[in-house]
This record gives sequence, C-alpha cells and structure tokens, in this order.
Amino acid sequence: MSPGTTTTTSRPGTSSSSSPSSSSLASFESELYLSRPYFTRRQISKLQSKTITDHRSYNSKKLTIVRYLSDLCVHLSFPRKTLETAIYYYQRYHLFHPFETELTYTLALGCLILSCKQVETITKINDIVNLSFVLRNGKPLPMTSPSSAVELENMKKRIFNLELKVLKSCSFDYRINNYIHIDEFIIKFGQKLNFHFQICHLAWIIEYDVFKLDLLLIIPQHVIALATLKLATELYGQDLEIWNKLETFTNLQVEKLSFKQAYFDILNFYINTFDLCDLKDNLPTDVPPISINEFMALKKRAGSEVGLEDITNNTSKFQQEIVDADPYLNINQNEFKMAREKRYVLSQDLIEQEVISLKK
Amino acid sequence: MSSSSSQFKQLEKLGNGTYATVYKGLNKSTGAFVALKEVKLDSEEGTPSTAIREISLMKELKHENIVRLYDVIHTENKLTLVFEYMDNDLKKYMDSQSTGNTPRGLELNLVKYFQWQLFEGLAFCHENKILHRDLKPQNLLINKKGQLKLGDFGLARAFGIPVNTFSSEVVTLWYRAPDVLMGSRTYTTSIDIWSCGCILAEMITGKALFPGTNDDEQLKLIFETMGTPSEATWPGVSTLPKYNPNFAQRLPKDLRMVLQPYCKENLDDNVLGLLNGLLQLNPDLRLSAKQALHHPWFAEYYQHFSPEQQQQQQQQQQQQQQQ
Repeated sequence: MSPGTTTTTSRPGTSSSSSPSSSSLASFESELYLSRPYFTRRQISKLQSKTITDHRSYNSKKLTIVRYLSDLCVHLSFPRKTLETAIYYYQRYHLFHPFETELTYTLALGCLILSCKQVETITKINDIVNLSFVLRNGKPLPMTSPSSAVELENMKKRIFNLELKVLKSCSFDYRINNYIHIDEFIIKFGQKLNFHFQICHLAWIIEYDVFKLDLLLIIPQHVIALATLKLATELYGQDLEIWNKLETFTNLQVEKLSFKQAYFDILNFYINTFDLCDLKDNLPTDVPPISINEFMALKKRAGSEVGLEDITNNTSKFQQEIVDADPYLNINQNEFKMAREKRYVLSQDLIEQEVISLKK
Repeated sequence: MSSSSSQFKQLEKLGNGTYATVYKGLNKSTGAFVALKEVKLDSEEGTPSTAIREISLMKELKHENIVRLYDVIHTENKLTLVFEYMDNDLKKYMDSQSTGNTPRGLELNLVKYFQWQLFEGLAFCHENKILHRDLKPQNLLINKKGQLKLGDFGLARAFGIPVNTFSSEVVTLWYRAPDVLMGSRTYTTSIDIWSCGCILAEMITGKALFPGTNDDEQLKLIFETMGTPSEATWPGVSTLPKYNPNFAQRLPKDLRMVLQPYCKENLDDNVLGLLNGLLQLNPDLRLSAKQALHHPWFAEYYQHFSPEQQQQQQQQQQQQQQQ
C-alpha cells in the first residue's frame, strides 16, 4: 500500500494473539481503507456508473443544490469556503452512494452541517434546518406543533446518518478541506502576483461557477484558484507574460498540468454551457459584457488542450482492466457483509507492524 | 470493538474524554496496546465537531511528542479512533507522587525532561499552524520510558487564517491565559505558552498555580502573583472586553518566593527566568515554544546544536536578562 492509494483487504480467520504474551486463534475481518483524495475523470466515470443512472437528472439537481446551498450560506453569512467544502462533500458522496432525487436536499444539509464543523463556521443544526424550511417552503417549521417537532427530529436523524456516510466516502481524510480553499488562495496568489483587487473579485465570481463542475474532485483548490485568476486577467484584456513562465507555477507550488486541466475545464464549461453560468449576470461594471465568443477566442489562443495525464484515458483493454480491477472503485461502502469493521487508515505504521507480525 | 471479529480487543476503560470514552485496546495481530476512543454520536450534533477536528488535525501531526492517531474504525453502530497507547497522564502521575493530601512536586531533572518534550511537541504544532488550546496535565500523556506526548486535540484548531473565535470554549480555567479570560479573541500561539507556564509551575510544586473556580477568581489569582496589568505594562489591555479598571492593584511577586516553599530542590535562576518568560501577562511578550527550547535552562539538551542555533540562544539569553 502506498499513500494516496486505497487498498481493501479482507482478512478472515487470521490468527491473532489475545494478549501480548500468549496467543490464541480468533476470527476477525477488517476492510482497510487508505484515503484517495482526488480522482481522474475516468475514475469518476467508473464510480458514477454505479451510482448515477440518469446523469441529466443528476447534473440538473446539482445545479439546484449549488444554488440552494449558496442561498443557505448567504443567509447564514458563511464564508465561501463553507460552501466550497459542502459542495465537495456532496459530489464526493455520489461517487460511492446512489443518487436519489428525493434525498438530495437532506444530503445537501448534511454536507453543509459537516462543512460547518470542518471549517469551523459552527452553527446550531436547528437553525440551519429551520432556515432550509424557510427557503424551500417559504415559512419556518411551526415548532409549537408536536408533529413538527417529530419531523425535525426525524430530519436530524436522516441528516446525521448521511453525514456519517459522507465522512466514510472521504475515508475520514480532511486534508483537502482543512487549510486550502479557493477563495483564500485567490487573495493570497492575487497579492503575491500584484493583481488588482478587481482581478481577484472577478476570479472570485468565476469560482462560483467552478462549483458546478466536478473539478473539486480532481484538482487541488490552490490550483483552481490560480486558473480562475488567469481567466480573470484575460477577461480584463490583460495578456500577461507570467502565465508563460514556469517559475510562476513553481513559486506558487502549482503543478502546471493540473493548472492547465483546471483552466481548460473552466473554459469548456463556459463554452459548452454558457447559459448555466452565473458570471454573465454578475460581471463587475468595468468588465465589458461577455458572450460565448470571448471564451472560444481564449481557448483558441490557449493552444492545444492539455491536462493531467490520465492513464485511464487510454482506451486499451489492458488499461480498462486496471480501472475495473481497482478495488477502491468497486467498494460498497454500506456493506458490512464482507467485513465486520472498516478501518480508515490514517497512519500506515500500525498496519505495517501488523503485516510484519502476521508474516512471523 | 470487543467482538471477536474486530482487529482490536477492548480492555479496561481508561477514562472519559471531551466527547468520547477511552478504552485500552489490544491489537490482535501485533499484541500491541492501543487506546480506543469511542466517539459518542450525539443526537443533537451528529458526529461531534471535536472528533472531526481531532481527526483532521492529528492526521497532519507526526511527531514523537504528539500522540499518534492510527485509524478511524467504523462498525455498524460505532465510530472509534485508534490512538497510540500511553501508560499514564501527567496529572495522574503527579497525583501518584503526592503523599496523602500533601502535594509533592516532581524532581527537577524530570520536570525539565517533561517540559522539554512538551515544548518540542508544541513547537511542532505551532510550526504546522495548529493551536492545541487545551493544554493541561490531564492531556499530557506519559509512558514508562519517560516520554511525554501531547494528546486530546479535541479543542485544537488551525490558525493563520482569521476566523471567529469562541473564547469560552478554550482551555480549562486553571491554565487559561489572562488575555483570554479578559475576552480577547485574537489569541494565537501565546495561549498555549501560558498553559505551559502553569504546567511547569505545577510540576515543580505538585499543585496548580492558579486554581480559580470562576473567571473573576482566576484573574484575581493570576494578578495576585503576576501583578495587575496596566496600559504601561501591557499596551491595549484596557480595551479588552472584560477589562475592569477597578481590578485590585497588585505588584508582581517573586516567583521564587511563591514556588520554593513547595520544592525540595533549589530553584535556580534559569528555571525561574523561563517561567517568567512563559507567564508574561502581555501575550506579545511571552516566549514562543521554539524560543523556550533555546532557553538556558535546557542548555544540556541542545549542546549538539549548530553554531547558528547557539548564537540564537545567546541572543535570547541577552533578551531574557534585559527583561
């Protein structure tokens, strides 16, 4: 096992010691999970092929959920990072759990509540749930009615159940959303590169559209932040030399191919689904109106579309077999039939010691 | 966890944490002990945010003076965190050294070794932009080899990016810094340093330095020993939300007079100098964990350091003398 990969190991009937000095035979089964924070697009497709039967419905619902979560965050005065983390969780969940339309709003609430805990915008769950009722039904849950109290409690139970599923789908690995958030890195990189406030503001608006893509599952947030900044400078008509210099990327610890992948993915979103973007309706006053043509021109100027090398892009049978055989992509996270416990491995030391012990 | 199908055998209960019950556990493959922290899934809060914080922060912290978090285990109805096992905590160890009701401090050599390890672990946390925020003897775990490790990161948080802080949720009262007690919400690493000062004094004497029962009494106890701050000694103190211009005016006491009666060995100037550096009322004047590691009291531990580091130590010694 190596970091960044996940191995599922089932160990039925393994001999074990019942005390440090004496040994006995005991039967136990564990599934070991190492976290895999990011995926290639093909891996995402593989995972979603088992969880999403109707992609059109999923994509349409995702846009609704982005808006819904965004409205909740605005009402609760949450920073952008709370929204970003909630959307990451929402998408991550659907890699391992079936997309069910009737669950989406409850799931979204679960993701938001978990996000609040993760990025420390702590808010009472009742407040979030009540606000969600207002936003969806136009009025709060009448708390004086006993049936409402029961409804609230049942909803919280469902939310917490989903919250745990989200945590498992992330293998309890919070590194992705712990320190790095797109909006914060737009500001940090903007300052580092001496960009004007307006550039950063425009990048921040573009960031909102990024949430509609699956980029958060593929590319680290600081890389996405830099890609939004490049697009923002270009929409302001600036043709900057820094984007051609390798040191721009090395200084900011941004991997260039990941950056290109993010940049082209965002451009393609505006070209392919311009009507769905929020950017066109929220442009700062000093940016001229934009249309699909601006993005097509930018793409033309950007040269050949390159991005992350995805071994699964290779359509050969052999490569497909690798994807199909990848245990991580074939996990059923809800099943406890195969193993009684699931161990989300945060440190490999213990596992290595166990392997050595078992070999003896 | 106790079922035969688990990798770990649950043994005796070790205690109750902030959000969980901790058991001793046995790894069935290796025969090694672990600590199993069974998380209570709250009906009002779901998965506790303290558990989420602890998992997220401890995953990043790999240091010999910080307790390791190995796994998170999910069974059908439970969530369990698997930690490195430690034999004891500093509080229980100090209590075990007391005779009857008479508190007894630890030997100064041991105090120094524990304090050094405390600073090593804390410096690593601070370098990684993590505040512990709940340092107290109960959260410092020790083993038979004399190793000390920081544990219980349930209240820890990442810092560096401004976020709302909730002063009420940090640090057990006895180890809480005066700036936090007076309502400051801009605290940083200095909050942990104050706690380290309180812990050092407690290890020396065997009793808590400032055992207040409420915020007001806590401040009163602190001021009685360290003196009442003023704008002259702590610029900006009067702007803190809970600053009271009518605080009883006290002059700082000589820490030797405060601590020596409870310590059999002679307290040298170095340890008192270090304590003064840690227990500065003004948070900006408190030493950092890294500076503390270079304090002359620890000279015997850092003799192998590079010339640059030694030069740094000398500069800090000079600064100490000027203070």
